[in-house]
Amino acid sequence: MHRIVVDAMGGDHAPEEIVHGAAEASLALPSAEIILVGDAAELGRLLPRMRHDGARVRVHHAPTFVEMDEKPAEALAAKPESSIAVAADLVARGEGDALVSAGNTGASVLACARRWPLLQGVRRAALAAVYPTELRRGEKDDPFSLILDVGATIEASAEDLVGFAVMGSAYAKLVSQNRRPRVALLSNGTEAGKGPAPVVAAHAALVETTELNFIGNIEGLDIPRGVADVVVTSGFVGNVVLKMLEGVSETVVRLARYAHKERLAWRLGLIALSSAIDQLKSITDWQQYGGAPLLGFTHPFIKAHGRSNAHAITNAIKVAHKALAGNLCGHIARTMAELDERANRRPRTANDATSDPGAS
Amino acid sequence: MTPRSLFDRMSLLPGRLGQRLGLLDHVPEGLPDGAPPPRHVFRWDLDKTYLRTEFDSLADLARSAVENAADKQAYPGATALLRALHQDGHRICIVSGSPTQMRQVLAAKLALDGISYDEFVLKNNLKNLLRGRFRALRAQIPYKLPAMLQSRLGAAAEAETLFGDDAEADAIIYCLYADLIAERVTLADLERVLIASRAYDDDAVRILDLARRVPKYDAVRRMFIHLDRRSAPVGFRHYGPRLVPVFNYFQAALVLYGDRVLSARQVIFVALEMLDSGQFEIGHLATSVQDVIRRGRISREVALQLAAEAHEAAHSGALSGRNDLPPFEQIAHAFRDRVRELGPVDHRADELTATLDYVRLVDEEHEHRRTRRRRGH
Repeated sequence: MHRIVVDAMGGDHAPEEIVHGAAEASLALPSAEIILVGDAAELGRLLPRMRHDGARVRVHHAPTFVEMDEKPAEALAAKPESSIAVAADLVARGEGDALVSAGNTGASVLACARRWPLLQGVRRAALAAVYPTELRRGEKDDPFSLILDVGATIEASAEDLVGFAVMGSAYAKLVSQNRRPRVALLSNGTEAGKGPAPVVAAHAALVETTELNFIGNIEGLDIPRGVADVVVTSGFVGNVVLKMLEGVSETVVRLARYAHKERLAWRLGLIALSSAIDQLKSITDWQQYGGAPLLGFTHPFIKAHGRSNAHAITNAIKVAHKALAGNLCGHIARTMAELDERANRRPRTANDATSDPGAS
Repeated sequence: MTPRSLFDRMSLLPGRLGQRLGLLDHVPEGLPDGAPPPRHVFRWDLDKTYLRTEFDSLADLARSAVENAADKQAYPGATALLRALHQDGHRICIVSGSPTQMRQVLAAKLALDGISYDEFVLKNNLKNLLRGRFRALRAQIPYKLPAMLQSRLGAAAEAETLFGDDAEADAIIYCLYADLIAERVTLADLERVLIASRAYDDDAVRILDLARRVPKYDAVRRMFIHLDRRSAPVGFRHYGPRLVPVFNYFQAALVLYGDRVLSARQVIFVALEMLDSGQFEIGHLATSVQDVIRRGRISREVALQLAAEAHEAAHSGALSGRNDLPPFEQIAHAFRDRVRELGPVDHRADELTATLDYVRLVDEEHEHRRTRRRRGH
């Protein structure tokens, strides 16, 4: 039985939508137990309103919660009994196996980082995000690629980037059912020698791995094309890229609205395209994907979108369940150990220490 | 008086054959002459309450009809619960909507499970079909209510507990029955409900007659609705605290323990049967305890008292030979943890404040059933 702890108070629509999503998950996943962490009175009032399995959803009381706009470190210090802190504690104590939260991202990541050990061989954790792409991948024809890190580790060394590649590949294999995901480093050119020193060194290391399907470097414009299934970068760059991609999407939507208002011909054009747009929307609906995983710790953590509704929460719980059932953390640890072993056997060369930060 | 001689038994054969073919109605034999009235009657539905039955589609119905006794599955814990109730000398009456032609296979299933019962009433749908009474084929209230009233006429007890499910109108029928025998529903009210239920005129006359004659007493202590469809429990709140929706039979056993009907030892036997089914782990049972406390169906004190009594029962051999289970202390610890996880919050069930409008409930049920049919459920 996989025990999935859910921060019931985190998210813009908490606790109603979170409880609803967890209730649905209890019906869809008979081999899982869902532990809702939050105000027991409130959760006890909501749960009986929803179809669920009463033997598979339980409540763990937490008297407070971290607001979406609170500063993570301060909030966690001021609220040691907040729902996210209690939830991360439960997993750390072995009373849960995975965590799902739609709450404050910083507080969630910090709560896990302070309580959960990193997997052996992993130096830094990485927060991954999914982005809709032109190309599809895996047995599920997944229209999303994985970008990591998007903010957990601001500055990443070459070893960190290699670790991210291993973790992202393992996740894509399991969740997208992509047998051999294409892994790429995000750089300012496709040549091996381009980019900052850690990227060049990581490239050199990844080229030698047989465990990964490393396709080399890609540029920013390759992300939405879907050239790679797993895009590896530092937390700083990843976060900037992700925000920019989101900004572009929002701008496109705003332009479409403007066009809809401005001219009848443009409006007619949009109406003619509406069914295709709807289809595209359903394909790239982030709610289908569940959430972004925080990888590198001994337990899976799925960070659902702050605006998550019940459907997105159910899917996030399903992703957590899949990660547990497929032993995601075990796979990552094993691959990291294999890489470590090979690195120890290999004599050190000048390439390991130096790099040429070429610019395009 | 129960006939004993060969001649008497022979004289019953044509009647039994008629009942099996569905040409004659099976009237439950009441108590033998001079027998004391039962202390407590437990009325059970079968499909989706005791037996895991799928009849959401025609294919399910066909499969269910040709299944043999060994293929039929009881819900985990239901067998142990029924056995415990019968061993305590309570009267077990089964009223099922399954057709009379299935009596043999259903009786064989109950025998396989070691279930003894005092009454077993099935629905004579062949008779309805032959008389062209198509409305009666699906009708619930005009079938079950008179069956229960007839049964009470034959053997009235001061206490009754009813078991049904959320697939059909069991909650409405059971509450109507409870309120009728407690004289909270008048015959005029009942007549209106029967009209809303689209009962045939002669059936309505018969039901009203039974209702007039049935011994009146506020006898129904509990009604359990097995949430086979996993319906939201809040949907049953308006029936009041006497009706308890349960996700599994461990929860029913807990409430009956709280009602002083079952002992801690009997609750353990229900739990063991559920664990043996492979569908439940100790964690599920502990979560089930938390769920009934959270819904205010048992108090924390009752749960803790059960833990203490179960501890004694375990030491006196209730768990002997169960090397597959962790030590009882470990099990009790898991249960106490679940209670503690609820924090200091006081959970109480909402009390019934308004009397039930059965005509409205019947109308809503009809509408609900129509919607389900439209959606293909």
